Formats: sequence, structure tokens, C-alpha cells
Amino acid sequence: MGRKILLVEDDRETASYLAKGLTQEGHSVEQATNGQDGLFRATDGSFDLIILDRMLPVLDGLSVLRALRAAHIETPVLILSALASVGDRIEGLECGSDDYLVKPFSFAELLARVNALLRRRESRVDPADHRLTVGDLEIDPLSRSVKRAGKKLDLKPREYLLLEYFARNEGRVVTRTMLLEQVWDYHFDPGTNVIDVHVSRLRRKLDEGFEKPLLHTVRGAGYMLAA
Amino acid sequence: MPTTLRIALLAGLLALLSNLAVIGFIYERTHDEAVASLHRQVVEQSKVLTDVYRTGGKKALNEAIDDTLAYADPQTAVALISSDGRELKGNVATAPSVQSMQEGYHSAVVRLRGQPSPHLGELVLSRLSGGEWLVSGRLVGEGIAFRTTLERSLILALAVAGLLGLLCGVILAHYVSRRIGQIAAVANRISARNLSQRVPLSGAGDSFDRLGLQINAMLDRISMLMEELRLLTDSLAHDLRSPVSRLRSAAHAAAQTSDPGEQEELLGSVVRNADALIRILTTVLEISRSEALTGRNQFAWFDVRELAAELAEMYDPLADERGAALKFERPDRAVPLFGHRQLLAQALSNLLENAIRYGSKGGKIDVRVQPGEKRIRIEVADRGPGIPLNRREEAMKRFGRLDSSRSDEGAGLGLALAQSIAHLHDGELHLEDNGPGLLTSLEIPVHRQQSAR
Repeated sequence: MGRKILLVEDDRETASYLAKGLTQEGHSVEQATNGQDGLFRATDGSFDLIILDRMLPVLDGLSVLRALRAAHIETPVLILSALASVGDRIEGLECGSDDYLVKPFSFAELLARVNALLRRRESRVDPADHRLTVGDLEIDPLSRSVKRAGKKLDLKPREYLLLEYFARNEGRVVTRTMLLEQVWDYHFDPGTNVIDVHVSRLRRKLDEGFEKPLLHTVRGAGYMLAA
Repeated sequence: MPTTLRIALLAGLLALLSNLAVIGFIYERTHDEAVASLHRQVVEQSKVLTDVYRTGGKKALNEAIDDTLAYADPQTAVALISSDGRELKGNVATAPSVQSMQEGYHSAVVRLRGQPSPHLGELVLSRLSGGEWLVSGRLVGEGIAFRTTLERSLILALAVAGLLGLLCGVILAHYVSRRIGQIAAVANRISARNLSQRVPLSGAGDSFDRLGLQINAMLDRISMLMEELRLLTDSLAHDLRSPVSRLRSAAHAAAQTSDPGEQEELLGSVVRNADALIRILTTVLEISRSEALTGRNQFAWFDVRELAAELAEMYDPLADERGAALKFERPDRAVPLFGHRQLLAQALSNLLENAIRYGSKGGKIDVRVQPGEKRIRIEVADRGPGIPLNRREEAMKRFGRLDSSRSDEGAGLGLALAQSIAHLHDGELHLEDNGPGLLTSLEIPVHRQQSAR
């Protein structure tokens, strides 16, 4: 399950910390320390994912991204940035990146997003994801119906979206910020535990009355749906 | 001071030039006047004498010439010259020769009898019917003398005018530099530490006073901003202190302990406190960016009704958990707004979180969207304790949390951020009485939507 990741980051400490962590996860990591170098390496298109710092010497990250997209290189790109405002995040996403992570971040958050992006690439290769199944859970995205052990679950629209997102990232950690961004499409940082409340409501409908829970809390990182 | 000198010289030069123009005009006019009057006199005298000859003959002319010489001033020149060039009568010692004589008006140099030197004269020569020549005219010496006197006094006047102009310039320059100097001195004494200096006003209401007033108003504004900044820095430092010190002691304890379970717990606390710090800093940054109006390039059309519905749905479980029923009164039609959807979502979520955090005990929270002719109002109303009128402004300030304990999870930035996002949209955040409870509302003007795009 090891993948090729290009890491373009000029801060040596951050770069070696990330490279070490990603290598431990089984990925092979190549590094570039400025934008031009990064663009040069990225253009061969053989990477599964590019992690791109926004502020880089010689050529900034957004310019690298625009150049890549202009050259029709559609490798997923995860932007890292110290620019934390909502406007900056939107700008980063509008430039054609697939995800945007604000510094400082936890490695768990980065890993969760990297895995989600790699997974998305997989599903592109295999479009036959009509039905999603996790253990005895069965989801039909066309009719938006959910069954567990043959019994139909009554979910609200948002709860369904939440569960579908979990299911598409089966076995992978999903963080609270990822849920807010992907399920609600909001890019601010709520000051309350509003996401946790939604997840615990979903969990009640999903796992109550069943012996084996499907929705797990991953301490210090987020949640995971796994059989 | 070179500027003073320049002003003085300029004023002097201007005075000199204007006086020169006046004097030149007077000189020209008086000169022309003198010449014209001389000309008139000469022509008239000649005409009188020839008339006398024509009516009274030679005898009458002789008498007239005698009378003229006897009563007229010494500048008068009269002579009767025979056709062969002899002077028959008159006071002209050196007359022009008969051969060269031509009738008409001439300027010629003549010497009068009894005078030592010849002078320039204006003469009229007329041929009488008897063949004699009548020379009649005046020396212009008188006019020349008048002109020299005039010239001399004019030059003197010019010198005096120049000096006075220079003096005026010096006084003016001194006045200007004194008034400017006062302003400059105040500006000099102003520093980040001391903004209390103000420009003294003369009370004359002149342009210096206006300049001073403007500078004073600017200083007032700067000191207000400095004070705000100081308060902000103070409260930021204060609010950062507790998470930082908690973080420090947790990190320290984690480094000391050998129990892995305890260590993990402590490191978790380090991360939580670091996250709290980051959240505070991000929000402060977001506020200052909104206040600086960056982000308007990301404005787009969206439906406020859908946004409010989505957020109400998102916060409904949270309110429910804290014992309040959150209700959204959905308008019948879409409410389009040209703005920053993400930032307005954040502003509204701040209002909702605020209502849930402080007003849940009231049991009911209402969210409303009111489309209007001129403005769109987005309201969040709770039935909690509310905020007394005199503390509402304070509540909207950065770190303006009203409970002094500061132990709650919010850093008191929510309303400040909502307000700055309203400002980004040319709108306002209002805190009102919900009787009982607090009614917070974002009012976004519609005119901006029309002007955009």
C-alpha cells in the first residue's frame, strides 16, 4: 500500500519530520526545497500525491499548482500553509488543490488527509462503487438508504452524508476539520464541540443495539468507521 | 533659514516688479503728456502769430512778437527772418539758414539771445506772404528738466518700494515660519509615547488654524487607535498567558514523569492548550483581515436563507444538548446576497455559539432571516440573561468577554469577529434586548450587492 509522495517544503525541520512519518507509514517520499525544483519533479506525473508548502522560495506554492494544472497534471495536491484565514483557504482550494491544511497541524491530521486523498485516487481508478459495505452495514448512495444487519436505519440528510463520507474512508482516520470541510463545506474553526455532537448522534443510530460498534473514536485525531 | 529668505526675496521682488509697473506707467503717461502739451503750445503760438500777420500785416506782427517776448516765459523762441536770411526781429541767436528752411514742425537745436548754450527746441517754420520766414517755438529744456526730476523721484520711490517689499517679505516669512514652526515643533514632540501634544490655534480661523485643527483631529484619532491597540495587546497577552502557562507546566510535568499513562495524558493537555492558542491567534488574524477589507475579491452571490438553514441545522443538536430548542423561521423565498459566504457563515456560527453558550437556559433560540428593501437582517435571539445596555459595546470588543473569570472555553473574540465580518460587508452587528434575552443581528446593506458586478 506504499505510495509515491512528493514533498515540497523549504523548512528542513518540518520536511524531515513529515518525510520520516510518511515513510514509517509505508510511503516513499521524495523531497524538494523550492518551488521551481518541486515543479520540475512534479511534472513527470509519476507521483500519487504532492504535498506542497504555500510559501516557498523561488516560486510560491500556488504558482507551482497553477503551472501543474495548466499542464494537465492532475496529481492530487495537498497544500500546507501558515496562512490560516478563511479567505486564504478558499483561495488555495480555488487554485486547484485537493485539500488545504493550515500550519501548525498534527501529524495525525496530515496523515488522515493524505490517506483520504490517496483513497480518492483509488476510487477514481475503480468507479464501481455503487454500494458501500462496512461489515454488516450497507449503504446505497443512489437511493441514500442505509441498512445494518438487514434493518433499515432512519437517518437525517446530514447524518447520511456524514455516514457516506465515513464509509468512503473506511478504515481510515477522519478528523473533525475534515468532516466540517467535506460534509458541511465550511472552512472555519468552530469554537464548540458541534461536530462531536453530530457524530455521537449518528453513532447512537448506527451502533445502539448492536454488539459490535462500527464508528470508533481515535484519541487525539478523530473518528474511524471500521468493521 | 533658506525658506524664510526665499519668501522674503520673493515678496521683495514682487513688490519691486509691481511698483516698477506702476512707475513705468506714470512715467510714460507724464512724458507723453508733457510732449503733447509742448506741441500744442508751439502750434498755437505759431498760429496766433501768423493770424496776426494775416489780419494786421507786418506792423502788427512786429508788435505781437515784441509782446510775446516781453510777456512770455524765457523758453519762448520767436524770430522773423527776411527772405535773404537776416534776422529782422526776435530772440533767436543762431537760426537755421534760409536755404535749409522748410515749412512745418521741426525739432532743431537753437541758441537764444542772452543764453550761453544752444538747446533743443520745437519750432514751427512758416513762410509769410511777404517772403519772410516766421520762426516760432519753445525750448524743450523745461520738459527735460521736469522729466529728470520725475525720473529721480521715481527711482527713489522704486528703491523705497523695493526696500518696503523686502521688509514685508521678511515679516511675512517670519510669520509663516513661526506658525509652521509651531506645528513642526508639535510634530517633533509627538512620539509613540507622547501623543498628548496639540497644535496651538490662533483663533483667527485662517488656513494655519485649519491645518492645526486637522492635525489635532488626526492626533486624536491616532491616540484613540493607540489606546485601542494597547488594550488589545494587553488583553491578548492576558488571554495567551493562561494557556501558555498551562502548556508550559504540562510539558514540564510530562518531561518529569516516568509513568507512560500520565505522560500521554499530559502531552494531550499540551496539544489541547497549543490548539487553543492557535485558535485565538487565527481569530485575531481573521478579525484584522476583515477590518482591512481583504477578502472582498471572494464575494459571490449566494442564498442567505440556505446558509442560515444549514447553520441552524448544524447547531440544532448542540443547542438541544444544552437544553434549548433552536428554531429557524424559514422565509418563503430565497434571499440572495452578494458577499463572502464562508465568512458570513463564520459570523452567524459565532452568534449561534454565543446564544447556545450563554442563552441556552432560556430554553429557546430563534434564527431569523429578514429580507428588506435596503438591508438584509440575520437575527439570532435567545432567552438567556442578555447583556445590559451599558455593557453591549464592551461585549463587541476583542476579548470583551463579560465574565471576569475567563475560565470559559470562548476567548471572547466571537462577537468582535462577527462585527468585523459585518464591516467587511458595509454592514453592522447589533446587540439588542430580546426582553428577556439577547438579540444579536447582522445587518447587511443591499446597495453593495447592486453596485458589485
